[in-house]
Amino acid sequence: MPDAKNGLYEEKLKRYTIAMDVGKPDKVPIRLNPSEFVAKYAGLTHQEIYYEQHKNMGSVDKFLDDYDIDALLAPPSLWWATMHDAVGAVYYRFSGRQLEENRQFQYVEGEYMKADDYDEFIVDPTKWVLNHFLPRIHEEFAEPGSYRANVALIKGAIGFMMQNGAMHQAGVSWAEKYGLVTGITGIGKAPFDTLGDTLRGLTGVMKDMRKQPDKVKTAIEVLIPHNAYFAMATAAGDTVFPAFFPLHRGSYPFLNPQQWDNFYWPSLKAVIEDLWKHGKRVLFYAEGNWTPYLEKIAELPDKSIVFHVDTTDMEKAYEILGGRFCLSGNVPNTMMSHGKPEEVSEYCKRLIDKYARDGGFIMDTGGVMQMDVKAENLAALVETTRKYGVY
Amino acid sequence: MSSLTEPLSTAVAELEDDKVIDLVKERINSGIPPLEIVKNLQAGMTEVGSRFETGDYFLSELILAGEFMKEAMEILEPHLAGSNQEYRGTIVIGTVRGDVHDLGKNIVVMLLKGAGYNVVDLGVDVPSDKFVEAVKDTQTPLVAMSVLLTGCQEAMKEAIDALKGAGLQAKVMIGGNYVDESVLKSVGADYFGTVASDAVKFAEQVFAPQ
Ligand code: B12
Repeated sequence: MPDAKNGLYEEKLKRYTIAMDVGKPDKVPIRLNPSEFVAKYAGLTHQEIYYEQHKNMGSVDKFLDDYDIDALLAPPSLWWATMHDAVGAVYYRFSGRQLEENRQFQYVEGEYMKADDYDEFIVDPTKWVLNHFLPRIHEEFAEPGSYRANVALIKGAIGFMMQNGAMHQAGVSWAEKYGLVTGITGIGKAPFDTLGDTLRGLTGVMKDMRKQPDKVKTAIEVLIPHNAYFAMATAAGDTVFPAFFPLHRGSYPFLNPQQWDNFYWPSLKAVIEDLWKHGKRVLFYAEGNWTPYLEKIAELPDKSIVFHVDTTDMEKAYEILGGRFCLSGNVPNTMMSHGKPEEVSEYCKRLIDKYARDGGFIMDTGGVMQMDVKAENLAALVETTRKYGVY
Repeated sequence: MSSLTEPLSTAVAELEDDKVIDLVKERINSGIPPLEIVKNLQAGMTEVGSRFETGDYFLSELILAGEFMKEAMEILEPHLAGSNQEYRGTIVIGTVRGDVHDLGKNIVVMLLKGAGYNVVDLGVDVPSDKFVEAVKDTQTPLVAMSVLLTGCQEAMKEAIDALKGAGLQAKVMIGGNYVDESVLKSVGADYFGTVASDAVKFAEQVFAPQ
């Protein structure tokens, strides 16, 4: 997008990538994950953003008209409910279907992988997913190989392509209209999270680590190349932007130190190192508190991640990771919701003074935003960073 | 690290799941009153809770303990019928409407049960009127609410308003990862906790003999 919006795109791209390389751009970049706040700001219901792609994407225009940011993580909904309906997903509930119009979607937890599924999973994960996992989480796949399941596969694949296409189109139009760059390309997970929240669920994996630790370890190892490949494939090979890694079970206090060292970290590290070998950076979206693990994270190759701070101790993160890795985030979500614009402004100034002075810092809130964020507080975040965050 | 000497309590605290189940069965068979067995289990759970508080145990240990405690209680249940279990009081708990995060709430439930309270768990995505109904039914002086999503803090406020609107005097304690002083004020609760053991501390105050 060379001359999109008179060089604005280039300007923002430079600002964003220099910061991720731990350098000093012209200004502190602003990369947000405003999520459902965008929908509310545009006057849309949950149902509309889940079901109507053009509204989901369109709402971002209204947001960008008023907030001057550099990079956006995603449109308000990552989920296109229509596609999930088409294949009869049983692990989601959406407004407009099982829920009323203005309700947050829900995830229905289950042991979608059983304790005795490990052997088959380890031999061929993709085959196991097709034969066992998909049928358990989708009504339409109930009988693998049946006419109905085959049609569902086609519907699902088309739906996925339609959604990706819409996302891509929207990205192009935001770049042209607003010079906006995408915050991420591609998505991935820690292998332990794939097993621990998607497949076995938390209780399941906690029991397995005690009862069948070797199988857990092998399954995680099998997932390393798979997760690295998935991140690269969903990024369509792009290496300019980082892959989004929302990290769950590695936060304190889920695992004891021994479990963290043995089950969580080595495999996540391997995925990140593998991606970095291909020039692909990871947005290490450290949900919750990761303070006790900062020293371990510092083992990663310089610049291979952007470390995102939610409730991790910002001071310690800077001390241990600063200078070698770009840091982002840390504006408290409760302040965005209950605080005053002056407080948000003060907080952002403090972040800039203390942690952005040598570059390598990106402004963002700690957690994903929701409908509770006050518009004036977000304005304070953006305006303060623009005015005060000039190098 | 622990002052426990009773073998069943110690087995719980040390997370020796098989031993816990064996001991429970053994004791039932040898005619030990089921309530006494429950007390020993609870003493072990209290120790698990305090080890979590001091950072010696993590969620993984709490979840394991929760699982074998469930199993132990299922074995005990038929034997408990008829015997009057003495509780220190009843507490109603739930994750507020719109929010389905329940790991934190489940841990609070576990610790409260371990401390000897009768806990009425309303589950997740709990609407205001369900809280009101449960408080009316149980006449409890204490309601606990969990919220993870900041977008659902408004629903928490609605539930608290509904309790007040119904003229109920129950105190409300809240918790969750983003719960702090500002949230407490905005939703109008009486107490907020940042870790599960805070719930036990506050219950202690509410149920303290006058
Ligand atoms: C696991 C998880 C999920 C799981 C939940 C599974 C389940 N059965 O609970 C799933 C995948 C379903 C999920 C879904 C979503 N999630 Co989620 N999730 C998390 C995660 C990673 C961990 C939460 C957790 O379980 N922690 C462990 C427990 C034990 O901790 P806890 O709940 O804080 O409880 C402790 C204390 O707070 C306290 N406590 C808790 N309750 C109470 C009550 C009382 C009375 C007291 C005294 C104490 C107390 O005791 C506990 C132990 O000490 C957090 C990030 C994080 N690390 O915090 C995000 C997070 C909560 N999720 C988030 C979001 C946005 C979502 C989704 C909207 C999807 C999305 N866009 O990412 C959906 C919403 C679904 C819905 N309708 O609720 C955001 C919320 C942001 C915000 N602004 O609030 C978070 C913070 C991630 C982030 N950094 O952005 N999530």
